[in-house]
Amino acid sequence: MNCESARQLIDQLLDEELDAGLRIEVRGHLADCRACLEAYARLQDQKAEIQGYAPHYEAPAALVASIRAAVEREAAGEKAALAAGTKWRWAAVAASVLLAVSLGWNFATLRSGGVNRDLVGENLLTSHLRSLIGTHLLDVVSTDQHTVKPWFNGKLDFSPDVRDLSGGGFPLAGGRIDYLAGRTVAALVFHRRQHVINLFVWPVDALAGASPWSRQGFNLVHWESGGLNYWAVSDIPVSELQQFQALYEE
Amino acid sequence: MVSGPALPRPARLEWFEQIVVPHLNAAYNLARWLMRNDDDAQDAVQEASLRAYRFFDGYRGGDPKSWLLAIVRNTCMTWRRRTQRGLSTVVFDETVHGAAHESSAEELLVDAGRRSALRDCIEGLPVDYREVLILREFEEMSYKQIAETAGLPIGTVMSRLARARQRLEECVSGRRRAAGV
Repeated sequence: MNCESARQLIDQLLDEELDAGLRIEVRGHLADCRACLEAYARLQDQKAEIQGYAPHYEAPAALVASIRAAVEREAAGEKAALAAGTKWRWAAVAASVLLAVSLGWNFATLRSGGVNRDLVGENLLTSHLRSLIGTHLLDVVSTDQHTVKPWFNGKLDFSPDVRDLSGGGFPLAGGRIDYLAGRTVAALVFHRRQHVINLFVWPVDALAGASPWSRQGFNLVHWESGGLNYWAVSDIPVSELQQFQALYEE
Repeated sequence: MVSGPALPRPARLEWFEQIVVPHLNAAYNLARWLMRNDDDAQDAVQEASLRAYRFFDGYRGGDPKSWLLAIVRNTCMTWRRRTQRGLSTVVFDETVHGAAHESSAEELLVDAGRRSALRDCIEGLPVDYREVLILREFEEMSYKQIAETAGLPIGTVMSRLARARQRLEECVSGRRRAAGV
């Protein structure tokens, strides 16, 4: 290794960002080249100097208190809005607050449950895509919730809440039985303009639930109600899915 | 099912306590270095924290510190652009020297000199260089984390960091020569 290459790599050596092979090469060069070794030593000194002598500012206690107060105020405002809320835009606020709950609950388990969460999400997305490209989108075709709900009787060991949300711009198209991670689940199908929303429903605890996320341009939103998991999957914006959720839960 | 407004509020505040509050010192340190004064740094961190609270659904379970610092960084950069505050001025702070003179210990004098030289030289760096240096040396972030936080390609992080260090060394050794240390 020559000096020019070594000089370009000594910062990364210092920051422990080099892989083992390059690290050995650069160290080998430093052992032979006094000028480069001195340049490296100057970088080491500077790092130590910054750590020892540059001011490290801490957030003043008054600032932390003021931030907490502002956030409390904001939260109180949301609470008032929710209490008032029959209006549409408040439904969106409600949805986002519910998502917050889901996030809050799931944060502690996100790391440990990461694999499971990804697995469920992956399965949901696969089912959604399969329903779009295949012919098996609907087993029961009806815009009437009183036709779709009884259709599931005897096919599932639970009874999903089926709603037609055409009033809110999410008309019911029908439903089907789907399979997810080894169990039977209900899939309800809704339309949003030209887009399809799959709403997957199964009992809580059967599969791990998690917070909303997106992948490959698809959004997933989750909530729980009456002991059942609800997962809505679509390519519409997450804000619209949250709207859908809020309407569904009204 | 989660119904009624009673439950969401504490849960969301709890989330804020877990994700945002533990990193407020790092947030303030970054803002203080970027804004170069206490008042603007406090305002920026206050605004960034509220943004974090409002847009928490943008948080997808990654490194919470990088996520928060990205918001702080964006808030600071927006403010700087808006206010066009001193772009690359180096302010020599007499108060630090004054305080040092009150002490008779020679060590303290030298330390204070080093401190103020370092602080002035870091503050004098162009903000693009300063930010990667702060994230690296104070927050000890990896190049990848810095790239995510500052919204830069890793190659740019590396070249800016190298230039920041070079300029800092020139500035500090210049100050030492001037002070006869």
